[in-house]
Amino acid sequence: MILAMRDRAAIAGIGQSEYGRFLPASQLKLGATALKSALDDAGLEREDIDGIAIHLGWPLGVDYDRVAETYGLDLRWVSQTWLHGRFVTSAIQQAAMAVACGLANVVACFTAISFTRERQILGGPGDAEGAREEGGTHGESPPYGLTAPAGGAAIGMQRYMAQYGATSEQLAAVPIAFRKHALKSPHAVMKQPLTLAGHQAARMVVDPLRLYDCSLITDGAAVALVTSAERARDLKQPPVYICGMQGMRSGREEFIFAPRGLGINQQPTGRWKPEERDLLAYRMAGIERKDIAGLYTYDAFSPLVLFVLERFGFCGQGEAASWVQNGRIELGGELPMNTSGGLLSEAHVGGWNSILEIVRQLRGTAGERQIANARHLQWATAWGDSVVFRK
Amino acid sequence: MKPLPRLTPDNEPFYKGLRERRLLLPYCMDCGKPHLPPGPVCPWCFTEHIEWRPASGRGRISTWTVVHKAWFPAFAADIPYNVVQVELDEGPRLTANVIGLPNERLAIGLPVTIDFDDVTTELTMPRFRPRNE
Repeated sequence: MILAMRDRAAIAGIGQSEYGRFLPASQLKLGATALKSALDDAGLEREDIDGIAIHLGWPLGVDYDRVAETYGLDLRWVSQTWLHGRFVTSAIQQAAMAVACGLANVVACFTAISFTRERQILGGPGDAEGAREEGGTHGESPPYGLTAPAGGAAIGMQRYMAQYGATSEQLAAVPIAFRKHALKSPHAVMKQPLTLAGHQAARMVVDPLRLYDCSLITDGAAVALVTSAERARDLKQPPVYICGMQGMRSGREEFIFAPRGLGINQQPTGRWKPEERDLLAYRMAGIERKDIAGLYTYDAFSPLVLFVLERFGFCGQGEAASWVQNGRIELGGELPMNTSGGLLSEAHVGGWNSILEIVRQLRGTAGERQIANARHLQWATAWGDSVVFRK
Repeated sequence: MKPLPRLTPDNEPFYKGLRERRLLLPYCMDCGKPHLPPGPVCPWCFTEHIEWRPASGRGRISTWTVVHKAWFPAFAADIPYNVVQVELDEGPRLTANVIGLPNERLAIGLPVTIDFDDVTTELTMPRFRPRNE
């Protein structure tokens, strides 16, 4: 059964709008640009789309039925998760399973968001998410003034630093690496280099996270069209196969913004290393971790990059802050990560800008960012889910 | 105005206890373990045999942060202010803040004891103070 989804579905087309801050266009307008561009890219017509997967709906984005109504789609399968970055993988997986099961022929994974117009939803009195589950789902607690996902990443990183001796200077290697990548991306919002001194001099937001440890607040749209592998082979672009996947972990041993064993919220503390069930995506893909040529992750906050490396065993528990030094996660390094700049420096399009980058890399069209001989690339998150892609 | 905790049938005994200057925790009568956040069943035994019992109110800071950004107008005057998680001596962790301690002295492992703050005429919130061992 572990092989059931290997190479059954593929990304056949990608498209995007411009990425920027305070863009005048609505989310629906940005989304139309991205969707048309993805259809052109794949050589598909609007009428070919019969499914949609949205992971960031209203108010940051738009909901599936408004999308279908606005663009004149006629859908027979839809999926939408609550407004949270954690569901990128879920959306891709559901799209892949939908086409593999015959519930849809072509699913648009659709993201069109405006953080700048809706910035009051990111913490503070207007943040309904802060009250979800009687307190936010990243450990934030509005009655004590802890709000926004940044609060959860901060309490995770603070304990991580105390536990393992990691420092803010070490953490800076993450946003510095991704800024270097962003400078090579024509779509990136950030255009200036970031230095260690610049990182350290930037204001503290929520201790220990400084300004550049927190993702950008941007507007933009990105679309990835998922179809069956068989159909994808007949289309305009070389297919990017979804060859392995595993789901998000949840339970009392988990805190969304901490590795297992760290001791945030109700997590037990102790030694942990990934076991077979934590690495099923590689098994499904028929590869080993060492075959991964580049890793892409939801870098809403720089600690999440450390945590995903430990979660998937690229390094041991408590070792990631040292591991990311000396260019290891930069282009040309041992494991390039978020090669278009990620949420920290390219744009915050809910993580989908990195999915589009994976597709460009596996098609060999990433230009000066191209990872040589990239055959398998991995999308994986600090909360344990993953999709492995191959060309 | 600062946001208030949302009361539910599951956490109501917790806040009722605080109103009476007592920290109560939901204990499982089968396995004997307390849990947070308050739920209708024991997360380990999945049974409804829950009994609310007084806890010591003592614990240690297990993680902390200091907020420097004015996300809430009602907290703007408090910046920079701390938020902590406290691992209670009984085991579960509670999110709150520490009063009577400069932010520079926040540290994981710091021993604390509970304090009760009547934030409205109906609601009392737990806070913590440093304690000597």
